[in-house]
Amino acid sequence: MIFRAVEDGDLIRQAARGNVEAFNLLVSRWEKRVYNYLLRLTANREDALDLTQDVFLKAYQNLRKLDDAARFAPWLYRIAHNEAYSMFRKRRPESDVADLPPAATETGIAVGGNPVFPIELSLAVASALGRLTPEQREAVTLKIYQGFKFEEMAEILSCPVSTIKSRLYTALELLKIELAPIEARGVS
Amino acid sequence: MSCSPFDLKDYFFEELGGAERKQVEAHVTGCHACREELHRLRLTGTTLLSLREEEIPRRIAFVSDPVFEPSPWGRWWSGFWNTPARLGFGSAALLSAALVVFALARPTPVAPVRLAQVPATQTAQTAPAIDEAAIQARIEQAADRAVAARTKQLVDEVAAERQKLLLVAAELDFSDRRERARTVAALDYGPPQPAAVEAK
Repeated sequence: MIFRAVEDGDLIRQAARGNVEAFNLLVSRWEKRVYNYLLRLTANREDALDLTQDVFLKAYQNLRKLDDAARFAPWLYRIAHNEAYSMFRKRRPESDVADLPPAATETGIAVGGNPVFPIELSLAVASALGRLTPEQREAVTLKIYQGFKFEEMAEILSCPVSTIKSRLYTALELLKIELAPIEARGVS
Repeated sequence: MSCSPFDLKDYFFEELGGAERKQVEAHVTGCHACREELHRLRLTGTTLLSLREEEIPRRIAFVSDPVFEPSPWGRWWSGFWNTPARLGFGSAALLSAALVVFALARPTPVAPVRLAQVPATQTAQTAPAIDEAAIQARIEQAADRAVAARTKQLVDEVAAERQKLLLVAAELDFSDRRERARTVAALDYGPPQPAAVEAK
């Protein structure tokens, strides 16, 4: 794990000096995670892909401003968050981000390939996530699916840790209730 | 409502330190309600993770185009300028410039040359008193010269002003006389009558 972090740091330093191949390697490591984060936020594959490209382009252009290579992940997700919300505002400048359609409207979020769990379970989870507010859904995504610490989430979302915890814990309570019937049917 | 010493959700999300985790674990062992709550959290977490990540539909890759690549000098400058070193470099450059300007603008000192001509033995005892008196005398002379020059300048200025006033007064007198002559001429009294005619 430490070894991987050092490698990322080396790639970041090389990319900052203009080495495009080093940056491409960095992109190949992070593109799937960033894409899935944006997919949870936008609930649209095309938007998520376009935004992912924009995110990495911005990251390349601003890589020299990143002082600490160890903070690359929160820094990258901060760009992704800003890009996503910038797109939301452009599309609906008059309305609040909270009015956005829930992620569950796109059922395609479900598992790809051969799922270990039944497809209906994935659909139920996607549906439950879709009932959360965008802020709660983003908090769940960053914590459960991306594994960030509270401090990193606060950096990404530009808000206090207490706000992050409040959003996440409220979302978790809602998800517990929503997913209780599914869990009762046997998830191990 | 949990009776755990720390929030079970913090424990579940691995946001507690080692000692705090141990306290929670010890509590959960003996508390059925908290054990159930933790079990529910883990179950919910497992259920959420059933939603697997998707593969990205199209891989992202950037192409290096020499036309848009900055020159090595440009890259060096950009790299240098975007580091904290720029502040130190800027400060050092400003300080150097200030030192150069100060060194060039400062007048050449004269006193040390004179002091160097005096023998060292005299300099130690008598030189400070002599210098003090000489400096005092020079100051007084300079002050006298300055006062005299200023006084002369003021006297000259007063004399010049007086000359101007005299000229103006003469002009005014001349104008007054001419005006009075014109007035008399305009009255036209004619020549005086002979005394005989008046007797008749």
